[in-house]
Amino acid sequence: MVTVSRYFNNVWKSFWTTMVGMRITGRYLLQKPITVQYPDERMPIPNRYRGIHYLEQEKCIDCLACARACPIDCIEMDAVRHGKELEWISFTLDYQKCMFCELCVYPCPKDCIHMGTEYAFVTYDRSEFKHDLLSYKGMSRDAKIRMVDADKKKAEKEAAKAAKPAHEEAAESAPEEGAEDAGAE
Amino acid sequence: MGFLQEKVAELGSGTNLIRELLAGAPRPELVPDWAIPLTAVFIGVGILLAIVSLCAMFGTWLERKVSGHIQCRYGPMRAGWHGWLQPLADGVKLLLKEDLIPLGADRVLFVIAPALVLSSILGAMAVMPLAPDFFFADAPMGVFLILALTSTTTIGVIMAGWASNSKWSLYGAMREAAQVVAYEIPLGVSLLVPLMVAGTFNLSEASAGQAGGFGIFGWYIWPVGFGTEGFSLGNPFMIPALVLVFVAVLAETKRAPFDLPETESELVAGFLTEYSGIRWSFFFMEEYAAMFLYCVVASFFFLGGFNSPLTWVFEDGGLLPNVFLFNVMAFVTIVVKGFLGMFVMMWVRWTLPRLRIDQVMTMGYKYLTPLSLLCVLGAGLWEWGKWMIVG
Amino acid sequence: MDRELQGTITLPEEGRTLASGEQEFVLDVRTQDMELNMGPQHPATHGVMRILVRTDGELVTGAQPHLGYLHRCAEKIGENVEWLQYLPYTDRYDYLAAMNNNIGYSMAVEAVMGIEIPRRAEMLRVICAELNRIGSHLIAFGTYGLDLGAITPFLYAFREREWMMSLFEKICGARLTYSYIRIGGVFNDAPPGWLGEVSRFCDTFEVKWREYYDLLIENQIFVGRTADVGVIPRDMALDFGLTGPMLRGSGVDFDLRRDMPYSLYEEIHDAGAFKIPVGTGEKGTLGDCWDRVWVRVVEMMESVGIVRWCLENIEPGPVIGDIPKTLRVPAGEAYVGIENPRGELGHYVVSDGDKVATRCRVRGPSFCNLAVVEEILSGTLLGDSVAIIGSTDVVIGETDR
Repeated sequence: MVTVSRYFNNVWKSFWTTMVGMRITGRYLLQKPITVQYPDERMPIPNRYRGIHYLEQEKCIDCLACARACPIDCIEMDAVRHGKELEWISFTLDYQKCMFCELCVYPCPKDCIHMGTEYAFVTYDRSEFKHDLLSYKGMSRDAKIRMVDADKKKAEKEAAKAAKPAHEEAAESAPEEGAEDAGAE
Repeated sequence: MGFLQEKVAELGSGTNLIRELLAGAPRPELVPDWAIPLTAVFIGVGILLAIVSLCAMFGTWLERKVSGHIQCRYGPMRAGWHGWLQPLADGVKLLLKEDLIPLGADRVLFVIAPALVLSSILGAMAVMPLAPDFFFADAPMGVFLILALTSTTTIGVIMAGWASNSKWSLYGAMREAAQVVAYEIPLGVSLLVPLMVAGTFNLSEASAGQAGGFGIFGWYIWPVGFGTEGFSLGNPFMIPALVLVFVAVLAETKRAPFDLPETESELVAGFLTEYSGIRWSFFFMEEYAAMFLYCVVASFFFLGGFNSPLTWVFEDGGLLPNVFLFNVMAFVTIVVKGFLGMFVMMWVRWTLPRLRIDQVMTMGYKYLTPLSLLCVLGAGLWEWGKWMIVG
Repeated sequence: MDRELQGTITLPEEGRTLASGEQEFVLDVRTQDMELNMGPQHPATHGVMRILVRTDGELVTGAQPHLGYLHRCAEKIGENVEWLQYLPYTDRYDYLAAMNNNIGYSMAVEAVMGIEIPRRAEMLRVICAELNRIGSHLIAFGTYGLDLGAITPFLYAFREREWMMSLFEKICGARLTYSYIRIGGVFNDAPPGWLGEVSRFCDTFEVKWREYYDLLIENQIFVGRTADVGVIPRDMALDFGLTGPMLRGSGVDFDLRRDMPYSLYEEIHDAGAFKIPVGTGEKGTLGDCWDRVWVRVVEMMESVGIVRWCLENIEPGPVIGDIPKTLRVPAGEAYVGIENPRGELGHYVVSDGDKVATRCRVRGPSFCNLAVVEEILSGTLLGDSVAIIGSTDVVIGETDR
């Protein structure tokens, strides 16, 4: 008798739990889906999102703090210093390596590297994953003006000093440097 | 040629229709006699193929939409309105896919298997009447012919599993064999209940027996019906029989929770593992066509067949008797009923986890078979008692 | 002799090199054994694990997990990068519970340094850890349903996990590999309105949780597939050093959050905010797959309780201590074990006063829990093997590291 009751209990339970499950799924069938149609509408991206980096190049002082903080050494930067001003050659971030940990952002003394909200990064070639963050190469116009001003000031100083015979050599070298820089640009 | 001619001449209405059409042609004598029945056969097979592939196409679309909405997502949305052209895009993709035959596979069997599977369902589909006056083969033993033909798909599946030269495929094939054998019995036995009530094996006759009652109340499923002859006592065993048939059909068509031959989480894809492209789609078409066919057969014997309020309006004793519209509405009715059945099967599929193979066997042999036998016994006693009392 | 007449066959020794222990199978027909490679690419192995299964028809007569397909030298990297730089790597071994990994590593380093972290940081840590535990268990529950053929609960679980991930996205900007918890605290305070949204998440989750329970856990087919399957008796669980839900599913009442409390858990437990669910063998034998899954599912609600307690008791304050940018950890060593969603996640770090760890060892719960699979797989059916592997809830990133 126990066996028989267990048999029919099993049949009933299977039927009943199936009905309970179908009630739940059926209810969702009639509700509006929660997903979005991706390319047309997108989920909002929070401010703190860790996407593709962007660099405030004007602020950057090429101190390499971010490159040192990076666990996988995916940041490479190269710049030539002209006194205080920087002539940018490259600032690349290899997104094949980058793991978006945001450790590069916090050590920055000038607060100039950030992670943006852009996340789609599709290329046809692996080499394109080496992403250059620079918005311009070389020197900015302001930096150039500042440099020229600084050079002028320096030249004036040197000229003032050149009046004294002991500093002849220094006075000669200053204009030469300026000429080289102009040629490089 | 004489033998063939005799055989195909029995094809009947289709051949006659073509002859009538040809009579209007300028020089009908140029068309040889044997070509006419052959043309009829080709047209018939063409229509059947169209039905099967349309079933599969609409079935896949429905499946994806139903599963999507059950799971709080949309499903296909890109191709056409709510993705209704998606099956077409998929079809094109499948046709253009590389036709891959794995190394070490039995090439002949590998190629034959999908064709065999598809042809068996085509044959079974021919027995299904599309409208009261439009059918391919009005077989007197319709139900059992359908059951017999659909179970030959098993041979194709086993063939595919064996020929693939993959262990997963072999497992899938063996499971299919075990499962189909186990569930043929309860399916056949529980179908005896409506057969007893209807007193016929023929689908059209079963449908005709359920006419009247606004197209709804004459169905065999009601314990108390209201048909053409007024109120009548139905059979209370029809409802459990329908549940049993439904479960057995789920197993026969390899649908979850009985999708053991395909079990994507255990056997990768079961017997389909090595198939791709259009060959794979043949199995797929078979699955959806079989679902549709079984649902239509069940609707013929339980849920009124051609009878619905739509057809009731246009039938002989109805409001607007019209033979043509009656046939059209009958067709629409069975299509709707078939897809409603498929919808419930999908609903079940996207709700339940899968059984284990031994549980499938247990369910077939220990639960469904005895319960269906009980049903038949009860239904038989009920009918006998009704006959003794009412006469 | 009698045995052969009855059809009972003891498998020959060479045929069962993979199975351990003496086992006899009653067979009708003796068929050829078949070796089956489940994985590395198989839908049920939860990543790139390979299990070499020896089968006799549907019967599994032996199984051997093969590891190492996702080996990334995480521990060795830990000895080559700076203390803080290793943090993103901890995200990546148990990628489903990155917050918990972060906490484990940070606590180990903090233990060497001997520093206290601010109370608000502890609160945020606990909230994040418990939310992540919910997310991890949701995956465990969902993929387990998927292994057993129920696809819909998986998507429901992902729906709630999506919300959890967007909560994390708001607080730290990442969805999977958070690196949110830093040595000395957490790196950012919760944005305005975040705690309120966590509270709303908890409210919604309680409703949805009931659905999961009715839809899958109570389902008769699910019970049939999991009850009495893959039974790990209490003694075996202890022998294999199982931890987490695997251990509790076998009826051993042990949880590091209560028994070796760290962070704020002692206070939270004393406040009665959570209980430790222990398997009871309700649907079958004690220690079967159902018990393990049940423990996970019930734990989700307990985690909600913990999060609620934290939301009630959180106070404003600093979230990170005074930690230099380049960390120099004083010489010393520490082992800190925390309760990961999968069990005890231990970090053992040795420092000799440098910027870089001398030794960084991880005790992964999945790795230890996976060991038992080989033992319980033999003698089951092929369908059960999937259920058993799923019930161990391994994350291959962590077993291989």
